[in-house]
Amino acid sequence: MLAVFVSQMPGLPQANLQHARVELLARQNSLSDGADVPMGVHFILEKGWHIYWINPGDSGQPPSFKWTLPPGFSAGEIRWPRPERMQPSKALTDYGYHDEILLPLTIHTPPSVSSRTPVEFGVEVKWLICREVCIPEHADLRLSLPVAATASADPHHAQLFEKTMKLLPQPLPHAWKASVTSSKDRFALTIRAGKPITTAEFFPFDPGQIDNPAPQKLQPSHTGATLTLKKSDELLKPITILRGVLVIPGSPAYRIEAPVRQPIQ
Amino acid sequence: MKNPRRSILQACALLALMASAFAVKVGEPAPGFTAVDSNGRQQRLSDYKGKFVVLEWHNQGCPYTKKHYESGNMQRLQKEWTAKGVVWLTVISSAPGTQGFVTPSQENDYLKTMNAAPTAVLMDPGGSLGHLYAAKTTPHMFIVDPNGTLIYNGAIDDHPTSDQGDIASSKNYVSTALEQATGGKPVAEAATRPYGCSVKYKD
Repeated sequence: MLAVFVSQMPGLPQANLQHARVELLARQNSLSDGADVPMGVHFILEKGWHIYWINPGDSGQPPSFKWTLPPGFSAGEIRWPRPERMQPSKALTDYGYHDEILLPLTIHTPPSVSSRTPVEFGVEVKWLICREVCIPEHADLRLSLPVAATASADPHHAQLFEKTMKLLPQPLPHAWKASVTSSKDRFALTIRAGKPITTAEFFPFDPGQIDNPAPQKLQPSHTGATLTLKKSDELLKPITILRGVLVIPGSPAYRIEAPVRQPIQ
Repeated sequence: MKNPRRSILQACALLALMASAFAVKVGEPAPGFTAVDSNGRQQRLSDYKGKFVVLEWHNQGCPYTKKHYESGNMQRLQKEWTAKGVVWLTVISSAPGTQGFVTPSQENDYLKTMNAAPTAVLMDPGGSLGHLYAAKTTPHMFIVDPNGTLIYNGAIDDHPTSDQGDIASSKNYVSTALEQATGGKPVAEAATRPYGCSVKYKD
């Protein structure tokens, strides 16, 4: 399997690329008719540098992807691993990734792959990488996979994909419930889990809804907890659903889509 | 005679209090301030009562700021709107030693080189004006109306990228808001998510 890293950012010094190595990876060494291919863009970042989550928070920009696929193939959405919270100043909070992260997705394969020669996948990735300063970067990545009767996993990559799966937000367990009550300047996110929750952190999917640096006050109850989130000054209209990721230490990250009850006027 | 040190402490405390007490919310009074510009003159928001005032947070090294200056987009907006009587205040809140920090004379050279035309550039290396307005990014744009009410808080346009090529197809929120407000209409999109580099605050 071949992963080629080519950077073609006109006007930027080559040195800018030393802050990250980026590669297009597949979980497997080959592809077969009709079998979806787990793929991902793997960022290995220089120490101290970071890239951004789908909601970057108060500053920054998430990576973007433009796929070039053979006829019949299609790319699913990026499945964003749970982010880390980053604090460029006391008044600003960003959401993103340090060190190393795989941003996975599924490539859908047509029922019959006509090509008997290796199939080439391409993606143009643009990302912003920051430390104290920010640098926009860009790469055209290519990956070629041979066609085989049955696809076989690449053991090294399979391990990376397994590790990443643990960071992907899961649906809330069936018995759990999330709801939100809106007041003038706060959202109260109540989680019913059937057991107390003593630590939790919420990451909003949509920018401009909550005040990112504001402390999230957690009030445990015997059935779960209520997390108080300060509304963003940018939020001028009521929202009907609060979407995001709930991170509870020792649990998987959970995807939250909680209906918002408006204040009684 | 008051102890001058105590007065300074009180002034700092007052500013901190103002920063926490006043959310910078569209539709509410824009917080008042006094700041020194790159020519050493005092600039007060209240000096401009009766005029529209644009505040533009700036960091000349930030790729998002560069997008709008190297393309000439920001200068075009500055010239167009100041010609129509709008006051344009560029604010630099980068702390000494961080990206975008400049001395007043370096800033004046930059304005000349870039052919920029703000009414004034406010030097805010301590970040108090930035924190007062909760400025998050460079650029981050605010508009204050002639009554002193904040009527816009957010991004310069709807393409949160650092690519100059996106400007032509972007909707400029600042121009749109100024057109609506100067035409006596309410601003339709009065709060958007600002985009860019984080403001390089001291703390």
